[in-house]
Amino acid sequence: MAETAIRKREGEVSRVEHTRDRWTYCPNVDILEKDDELLVLADVPGVKAEDLDVEYENGLLTIHGKVEPRQDEEKTRFLRCEYGVGDFYRTFRIGEGIDHSRIHAELKNGVMELHLPKTDQVKPRKITVKVQ
Amino acid sequence: MNLTPWRSKRSDGSGTGRAETGLARLRSEINTLFDRFFEEPWRGLAEWPFGGRFGPRVDLSESEDSFCVTAELPGVDPKDVDISVSGNILTLRGEKRQERQEKGRNYYRTERQYGSFQRSIPLPSSVDSDKVEASYKDGVLTITLAKRAEARPKRITVKEG
Repeated sequence: MAETAIRKREGEVSRVEHTRDRWTYCPNVDILEKDDELLVLADVPGVKAEDLDVEYENGLLTIHGKVEPRQDEEKTRFLRCEYGVGDFYRTFRIGEGIDHSRIHAELKNGVMELHLPKTDQVKPRKITVKVQ
Repeated sequence: MNLTPWRSKRSDGSGTGRAETGLARLRSEINTLFDRFFEEPWRGLAEWPFGGRFGPRVDLSESEDSFCVTAELPGVDPKDVDISVSGNILTLRGEKRQERQEKGRNYYRTERQYGSFQRSIPLPSSVDSDKVEASYKDGVLTITLAKRAEARPKRITVKEG
């Protein structure tokens, strides 16, 4: 899996140009492989399920979570501002071997679980050895 | 293409008026190095996972009668968050549990942080510790702390004489 964006913790933004004049952040992810799928866990605090878009096109998986500002930035007096509020955006290149028709995602407490099921060809198979 | 040696703005003589000699420049560069060393690692200390502990990043805002602290804590069970107020210090404590133990699984990336976290945030004035409200939604913790009456701004009307 290749990626095309930078992480939020480093205080940098993804390289994608957007029409809205806001920062876009790259969510931190864990990616783990199981026997039958790849599981992506992404931290997307502040994103509601209806504002989270996951798209797959031409081998490119795009995660885009929209985040509305939490406070009215013009009226609020900030004494401490340590993290930025903005959309989350990250893309991954998915290799062969992922059944993209069965990709699905869940969102809970600001963490997205993205399931990328493997195609049958790449699943590990147990071959039983017959005793003659 | 010719390569010209890099010179810092300070030492090319145009900035402060005096070109630094070789030794002075070396000294100033070493000073910069020391400054950077002492500033940068400690600046990020709050979020370093020293001993599995990390400090969540917070925003603190003020309105006339309250303070509002927000922290991004994705994947934290609200039951595992402990908030306490003592004087004008707000302390957040908690634990982000790894949802499941995936032993023997192949991790390709582990960017997310797990473990216990703690953060103490000094508030500019004392708050009414009975009037603290906290809510957790979509991975964002919001704490509203009411100011004490004496810390609120008072409006003084000017009487016409």
